[in-house]
Amino acid sequence: MDKFRSEFTTRTIVLIPIAIAINVGVNWIVQQLALPLYLDSIGTVLVGVMVGPWSAGLTGVLSVIVISLFFWPPAVAWAGVAAIIGFMAALFANAGWMKSWWRAALAGIITGVVAAFLSAPIAAYVFGGVTGQAGTDALVASFRAAGLDALGANMGQGIVSDPIDKLITFLIVWAIMLGLPERLKTRA
Amino acid sequence: MAQLSLYRPGSSPLHKLNPLTKLAVMACCLGAAFGFPNPYWVVGFYLLFTLSLAAWGGMLKPFLVQNAKLILPFFLSLFIIQGFFYGGATVLFPLGPFSYTLEGVEVAFGFTVRILQAIAGMTLFIFSTRPDHLMLALQKHGFPHQAMYLVVTTMQIIPQFQNKALAILEAQQARGLETQGNLIVRLKALFPMVVPMILGSLIDIDERAIALESRAFSKPGPKTSLIEIPDSETQKILRWCLVAAGLLLVVWRAL
Repeated sequence: MDKFRSEFTTRTIVLIPIAIAINVGVNWIVQQLALPLYLDSIGTVLVGVMVGPWSAGLTGVLSVIVISLFFWPPAVAWAGVAAIIGFMAALFANAGWMKSWWRAALAGIITGVVAAFLSAPIAAYVFGGVTGQAGTDALVASFRAAGLDALGANMGQGIVSDPIDKLITFLIVWAIMLGLPERLKTRA
Repeated sequence: MAQLSLYRPGSSPLHKLNPLTKLAVMACCLGAAFGFPNPYWVVGFYLLFTLSLAAWGGMLKPFLVQNAKLILPFFLSLFIIQGFFYGGATVLFPLGPFSYTLEGVEVAFGFTVRILQAIAGMTLFIFSTRPDHLMLALQKHGFPHQAMYLVVTTMQIIPQFQNKALAILEAQQARGLETQGNLIVRLKALFPMVVPMILGSLIDIDERAIALESRAFSKPGPKTSLIEIPDSETQKILRWCLVAAGLLLVVWRAL
């Protein structure tokens, strides 16, 4: 509990809304560039690296709540996955994995695989095996056509999309940590 | 200041309910969406309960438009994917090696109406509740006051951030950064856009924190508020009933 409290300094409270805005804003840029990615967890991973697991988990959950309140209500179903992404980012940072680009990339791939496995049952059992987004659903359809069931097809879609997405996310965060002034890097 | 919000101002009885009561209505709507064993009952609940509440809130038309906009992609994906790949004996029509089955359509229908009812329950809440009022009501019930800052600030920062993103996009294009073309070209444009934008938004966190601290942000003890959120005993009882109904529905289906 003390560890939990010590993370939530005023500075962390200030950082979290910015991190949520980064999640939403970068996702918006990705859509402008018409890239087949989400990049909706850069802020969450950043809080994980800059502060710690609890605040990163909270950033993930709040971010998903904000997206469902203002953009797309179904997003809330994936709140738990967003929290785990933040938590994992903090654990990788604690282990020193965010200091070199290739370890950061590996951390991103591992996080992506975990995210894919956790997201698939939600799509399969809550949303009938679809995500309501044309790109990912086309991928799901091709896995179903290849003979997989709903869970398998969503798992396949996740394994294709998530590790690459999280790899780029973690590399961007690594690049930001390089450019960040020392005074902002001190961890709580 | 530009604020992100889907809240539709109004003075209907629905708007005047305590935000927590509306949260309980949402819980009941979600319970109905996933709890009724038969999808036709979900349709009935949607028509009789959810739409009546929207009409009571004086927002039936925008409510229906929003529902349609959100459910359409799910509707399309479900009826295509489940229709062709769920399998079943009753073939409606074949297409190449695949066949569109009645069983698949039934499954797609079930999921579509459940998702629709869930989205509708959330939209009911989002359209009729100011987020800061929700946070105030939660604060009265022991939520930390920092949560209020988180939500309200996020609503203000996101539009600012989008403006900044647009400015950086245009500035980098003016310098000759290619943002159109094939996938590799667009992917290369990502880093020079995203990294400066994020760095720029992180620079002033210390100033923001100091500004809050100089206004006694982390001082413990009760805070006074300009806005009073009305509540009543009736609403308290109603809230428990709604949440219990939602839970019972889910338990019913699970059994």
